[in-house]
Amino acid sequence: MSLIQVKDLYKIYQMGNTEVRALDGVSLSIEQNEYISIMGPSGSGKSTLMNLLGCLDTPTNGEFFMDGINVATMGDDELAHIRNKKIGFVFQTFNLLPKSTSLRNVELPLIYNGAIKAADRKGMAIQALERVRLGDRIHHKPNELSGGQRQRVAVARALVNNPAIILADEPTGNLDSKTGEEIMALFDELHKQGNTIILVTHEEHIAEHAHRVVRLLDGKIASDDLTSRAR
Amino acid sequence: MRSFFWENLRIALSELWGHKTRSILTGTGIVIGIIAVSLMSTLINGVDTLFEDSMKFLGRGNLYIEKWPWFGDEDWWTLRNRPEIELDMADDIKERSEYALVVAAERGRSANLSYQDLSAENIFIHGVTANYPEVSTVDVEFGRFFTESEDRTGAQVVLLGSEVAKNLFPQGNPVDKMIFAGSKRFRVIGVLAEMGKFMGSFSNDTQVLIPLATFNKIFHGPWGKRTITVKVPEDRVDEAKEELRGVIRVLRGQKPGEKDNFAVNQQNAFRQTYQGIKLAIGGTGMVITALSLLVGGIGIANIMFVSVKERTREIGIRKALGATKGQIQGQFLIEAMVITASGGLVGLIISTLISLAISKFIFPANMSFGVAFMAIGLSIAVGLFAGLAPARKGAKLDPIEALRYE
Ligand SMILES: Nc1ncnc2c1ncn2[C@@H]1O[C@H](COP(=O)(O)OP(=O)(O)OP(=O)(O)O)[C@@H](O)[C@H]1O
Ligand SMILES: [Mg+2]
Repeated sequence: MSLIQVKDLYKIYQMGNTEVRALDGVSLSIEQNEYISIMGPSGSGKSTLMNLLGCLDTPTNGEFFMDGINVATMGDDELAHIRNKKIGFVFQTFNLLPKSTSLRNVELPLIYNGAIKAADRKGMAIQALERVRLGDRIHHKPNELSGGQRQRVAVARALVNNPAIILADEPTGNLDSKTGEEIMALFDELHKQGNTIILVTHEEHIAEHAHRVVRLLDGKIASDDLTSRAR
Repeated sequence: MRSFFWENLRIALSELWGHKTRSILTGTGIVIGIIAVSLMSTLINGVDTLFEDSMKFLGRGNLYIEKWPWFGDEDWWTLRNRPEIELDMADDIKERSEYALVVAAERGRSANLSYQDLSAENIFIHGVTANYPEVSTVDVEFGRFFTESEDRTGAQVVLLGSEVAKNLFPQGNPVDKMIFAGSKRFRVIGVLAEMGKFMGSFSNDTQVLIPLATFNKIFHGPWGKRTITVKVPEDRVDEAKEELRGVIRVLRGQKPGEKDNFAVNQQNAFRQTYQGIKLAIGGTGMVITALSLLVGGIGIANIMFVSVKERTREIGIRKALGATKGQIQGQFLIEAMVITASGGLVGLIISTLISLAISKFIFPANMSFGVAFMAIGLSIAVGLFAGLAPARKGAKLDPIEALRYE
C-alpha cells in the first residue's frame, strides 16, 4: 500500500466563462520514505497539487488515498489531525502569523497537538529554530526578519511536530545558495531518518537532492523520473 | 483540552491588548449593563432589608385604629371630616373584644426640650399608656418605664429616645434629672434603647415618651395624631379586624349601611403596597437591564464578526497547522467571553463603589456575593451568546480559501 496515491485528480477553477485547469488529470503514487521534487513552469499546478496532498484543498474530481484511506471520506477533525501530526507544510508564501514571534509561530503546531505538554513546547520550538540556525531570532516577529529568515521559520514550523511527510513549496526560493544548501542538508537528514519529503523547486541543483523528479506542465504530469541519487 | 483554554485565553488577551481602544469601547456596553443589573438588585435588596427592619416596629398582630387609613383611595374630604379617635374608647374595646390581648392608646406632637443650657428642638412627644411596651418594640435601656398609677395620675415623668438622651446629656446618666418640655418640668425616669429608623426617615430614637394622661393634661386641644393599638393573636388578625370594626361602630353609634368613620390599619397593608411597588420597580429594572445587556451583546457580536473577518488568514494558518473547528470556535468564544467578563468585572467594581456610597449617605445597600456572582455569570453568558455566531463563522472557513484571503 502506497503512502499517497492519487488517481485522475482534477482541480478546475471556473472564472466566468473560462475554466482554469490547475490540475488536469494527475495520477501519482508516493511510497513511504520517498524523496521527490516537483518541478515545472510557473502556473503549471505545483502549488495546487501540494495543497491537495497537504489535505488543505479538495479536488474537483478524482481520488486521493492516504495510507489507503480515501481522504474525501474523512471528517473535519480527522483532517485537522492529519494536517497537524502527519504533515509538515512549508508554504510558498510562508504564512506566518504576523503579530507573533518566531517562537510562537513555531509553537503553533505543538499547541494543536494534544499529546504535547505545554511545558515542553518552548524547548521543542527552540530546538527546531536552532536546526534552521535561527536560535538568535526567537523573539523576532516576521516583519523583523529577512525574507530568508522568514522562510527558515516556516521550515522550522514544518519540522517541529516531526511529521511523517514534509511538503515544502519552494523552501529555498528566498535563500542564498549557502543557506539553501543548509536547509537541503536538513531535508536530507530527515529523509535519512525515514520521513517522506516532497518539495517544489525551480532549481535543478535543489531538485537533485531528491531521488525522483515529477515535472508538471499545464496541470498534467509531463515526466516522472528517478534521479542519479536513486540507487 | 485544559491547555487549550489557557492558550486561547492567552491569544484572547494579546488580541484585546493589541486593540485596546476597540476592546474598551466594545466592553463599555457590558459595563453599563452590569452596573444596571447589580445596582438594581443591590438596591432592591437594600430596600427589602430596610422594609423588613421597619416592619419590626409594627407588630404582626397589631391593629391600629386611626382616623386616616394608611393606604387607599377614599375621598380626602370625607376622611378629613371624620371624627378624631376618642382614646378613652380603649377601655371599652378591651372589654368588648374577644380577640384583644392588649389595648394601648397614644397621641403625639412636637415640642422643644431643654436641660440646663442644652436644648433639643422639634422632638416628637409621644403620650402613651403604661402598656405601650407590650404593643411596640421599645426597650428601656436605663431606668424604668412608667407605671399604671403614674399614667393614671398624670405624673410628669419622661423616657428619652436614645438620640435625645445623647443630645441633652452628652456626658452622663440622665435618669432622675429634670428637663423642660416647653414650660413643664419632667423627671427623666428612663432611656430607650436605640431602635433605628422607620422606613429610612422617621426615627423612634428622636422621640420621648410620657404618660398619656400627662399629655392630655398638658397639651389641651386637638393635638396630634391619635392611635389605639390593639394587639390580637397573630393568626387571627383578619377575624379580629372584623370584630373590632363592629365594636367601634357600636361604640360610635354608627347606623347600619353607614360607612366606617375610622380606619383599622395593619402591617399587611404596608406589605402589599410595598410588594406592588417592588414588583413594578424590579420589573422595569429588569427590562432596562435586559435591554442594555442585549445592546451590549449586539456590540460584542458585531465586533467579533469584524475580528473574524480581519483574521481570516490567521484562521487559515491555524487550520492548516491542525486546529480543529472546535478549537477555532473556542478561541473566538473565549475572546468574546474575556471582553464581557472584563466588562462585567469593571461594572461590578463600579457598582460596588456606587453602592458603598449609597450605603454611606442614603440607606444600607450592600452588594451581596449572590449579586456579584450573578453579574459575572451574566456577563460571561452574554459573551457566550454574542460570540457564538461569529465563532462558528470563523470555524467553518475553508482552510485554503482562508489562506488566500487578502
Ligand atoms: N484560487 C484560484 N482561482 C483561480 N485560479 C487559480 C486559483 N489558484 C490557482 N489558480 C490557477 O491555477 C494555476 C496553477 O496555479 P499554481 O499556484 O498551482 O501554480 P504553480 O505551479 O505553483 O506556479 P508558481 O511556480 O508560480 O508558484 C494557475 O494558472 C493559477 O492562475
Ligand atoms: Mg506555486
